[in-house]
Amino acid sequence: MKRHLAAASLSLAVLLGTTALAGAQPRGGTVIDANVGGPGTFDPAMIGTTIELETLNQMFEGLVMMDENYRAKPMIASKVDTAPDGMTYTFTLRHGVKFHNGKELTSADVLATYERYAKISPNAIVLANVGSYETPDPYSFVIHLKVPSGVFLDILKSPAYPLVIIPAEFRDKPARDPEVNIGTGPFKFGEWQKDSHFVMRRFDGYAPDESSPGPDGYAGRKTVYVDAVRYNFVPEANARIAALQAGDADVAPTLPPDLLARFKDRADIAVEKVFPGCQNIFLLSAGNAPTNNVLIRRAIAAVVNAQDIADASGQITRENPSILYAESPYYDGAAVKPYYSQNNPAKAKALLAEAGYKGEKIVLQTNSNYSYMRDEILVLAEQMKAAGMNAEVQVVDWMTNANNMAGRASGWNVSTSGFCSQPLLGPQQWRNMVYNFANIKGDTELDTAYDKFFASVDVGERRKAWLEAEQSILGKAYFIKVADAGSVFAYSKKLSGIKPWYNIRFWNVSKQ
Amino acid sequence: MNLRLLQQTARAAREIVRRLAQTVPVLLVVAVVTFALLHLLPGDPAVMIAGDQASPEVIARIRADLGLDRPLLEQLLHWLAALLQGDFGRSLLLNQTVLSAVAERLPITGSLAMLSLVITLPVGIVLGTLAAYYRGTWLDSGVMGVALLGVSIPSFWIGIVSILLFGAVLHWLPTGGYVPIAQGVRPWLACLIQPAVVLALFQIGFLARLTRSAMLDTLHQDYIRTARAKGLGEWLTVARHAFRNTLIPVMTAIGIILSLLIGGSVIVEQVFALPGMGRLVVQAIMARDYPLVQGTMLLFGLAFVLINLAIDALYVLVDPRVRYG
Repeated sequence: MKRHLAAASLSLAVLLGTTALAGAQPRGGTVIDANVGGPGTFDPAMIGTTIELETLNQMFEGLVMMDENYRAKPMIASKVDTAPDGMTYTFTLRHGVKFHNGKELTSADVLATYERYAKISPNAIVLANVGSYETPDPYSFVIHLKVPSGVFLDILKSPAYPLVIIPAEFRDKPARDPEVNIGTGPFKFGEWQKDSHFVMRRFDGYAPDESSPGPDGYAGRKTVYVDAVRYNFVPEANARIAALQAGDADVAPTLPPDLLARFKDRADIAVEKVFPGCQNIFLLSAGNAPTNNVLIRRAIAAVVNAQDIADASGQITRENPSILYAESPYYDGAAVKPYYSQNNPAKAKALLAEAGYKGEKIVLQTNSNYSYMRDEILVLAEQMKAAGMNAEVQVVDWMTNANNMAGRASGWNVSTSGFCSQPLLGPQQWRNMVYNFANIKGDTELDTAYDKFFASVDVGERRKAWLEAEQSILGKAYFIKVADAGSVFAYSKKLSGIKPWYNIRFWNVSKQ
Repeated sequence: MNLRLLQQTARAAREIVRRLAQTVPVLLVVAVVTFALLHLLPGDPAVMIAGDQASPEVIARIRADLGLDRPLLEQLLHWLAALLQGDFGRSLLLNQTVLSAVAERLPITGSLAMLSLVITLPVGIVLGTLAAYYRGTWLDSGVMGVALLGVSIPSFWIGIVSILLFGAVLHWLPTGGYVPIAQGVRPWLACLIQPAVVLALFQIGFLARLTRSAMLDTLHQDYIRTARAKGLGEWLTVARHAFRNTLIPVMTAIGIILSLLIGGSVIVEQVFALPGMGRLVVQAIMARDYPLVQGTMLLFGLAFVLINLAIDALYVLVDPRVRYG
């Protein structure tokens, strides 16, 4: 009898425990996210914008993904073996990983993904160092490099133009093909009406990484509790806030800090300010006169009062002299501090005199689409004028502004942008951007530093090489760092499990 | 009698065909001007597609793939030749044809414009008529004051205030988005009523002022005095004699209003998160999606021409003095 009672008590306890657990993490419901915009495609090889990547990285997975601290962590691979010479990477794939179409993932899918990526992605340069691939069995994938690389896994982890695995049947699909929307992630493609909304649904056949205790950045063991997430595309910030206030949305991302007062009396709404978000940086063209003269560029860097400029941006910001974050193994803020927020007009005047500056026009180009960029440039122009520089502000639209920077165009000297993924992902991600946007040619010091960085398999050597590169980038004022800018989002407290990060993720989130 | 009607119908049909034929050179001018203006804008869609990590070589490859490296005249002729075959081209970024992109969004902008017109016409005409009839009174001043506010306050501001008031505070209407009519008339109307009213406010002001002016002119005509002198009631005098004669300038304005409603939808769709033509065009211009901008501008041009043609045809019904042929 006692034994029966004990068994009954145990059963009851288990039942209560299970119920309590289920109560702690309820299942079902649809989360509504009033997002700024939506994706233009789901073809991972073609996606580089933050808005598109937010949905994409919840539907697709790569061999390695970015963990909570932005480092590479195996995801579809159960382990990665790196040869001591840094020339060969062997990925052992997890068994039982299923695509959203029900097919099991094998090394043939990985090979097809990588070959398609090299053929069509604008970011295909990241695979330029690959000599060959091998698929010795369905669960092994081997990459042989042409030259050693210590950062190859860091390149593969990038959530921008992500090297995530798609079925081998898509090998010959052209870029941006609408059928390329099948991955292995915990959410799958649901419904998409362009410019209106996108719905991703829970993938019930998802094979989580059981070796991890829980989610870890974009990697780890992910569990989806909600039935679906619906992204409504709401470009106007006031309308996003109103949607959250009215209960038409559960999450409202990318909010201007000056509108947060609207939530003052709303105990049912939580506001999160997330760092790191992006970095605000001035870019100086080394290809256009007069900023092709390093002394002029240094003079501009010398006048910068970063705090005044950051205050004008209307964002939440914090000081950081580096173009990396403190979490990065390559971060050395102290070493680049001398180049940051110098606020020294006298030094600028001396540099201008040394450069033989005769009042030539310095064009500060910005855009009307992003008010923070425009306001930062306006303050910089005043700081430059105070030091005797002939600064002229030119406001164009973002497309023209971005084209001029990326296309190494003439007609501008200083511009500004916000960089989100590059500082987060590390030095390897900065290279193209630095060379293109600052229009750098023939800087052997920077070339050598970057070559050493990529070739070194020793992390200490790489740190040293990156410091040389960063000192070159900031010391020669190709870039002038302004501030780290955080992002602000708000959500209904009906949601539990939201973990602030650089992007919002909906696994391990429940809705009451 | 029947023969006369037949001849009149034939004349009207000939006139419509003649006017339709005239639209061809008009649309050609629209096509060439749009193409030229768009290509004069700095910016390159290849950069947008390539993203910020791409090297100049990748951008150049994409330009070549899209045919953007060919001489402008060749690109223009290629596009015009395709247009002759009914091919409006393919969007560079949406991965769909221009016509299908427009077809997806046209019902939304069309519904918005028509609902807005349905609100604008009675309100604008009645207010304008009342203001004219009670000229110089507080009612006239009040109506004209409201009309002035309507044309002066920017629609994005009214839109935001409306969302906050009716959506966030009163919870009467959704804060944005679109529900197709197939999912129910009520949710469809709930989504569209706010943007339609906001869009209509400017047009109501414009129409009320115009109606007032036309009605004032008419009320001073001899035949109105005659109608009153022969003892016709005031209601019949205004409704039957004055109002019908006021309709000609008002109808001309309706054509303009409809065109303005389609154009004005750009801002309203953005504020109310409506996936219509306005947002499509804005995004296409921002991304320098040449085929999409060119195609939609041409279709807008065609719509404006057809609206004006329809208004001209309606003159015959409203004013028996107007004859074709």
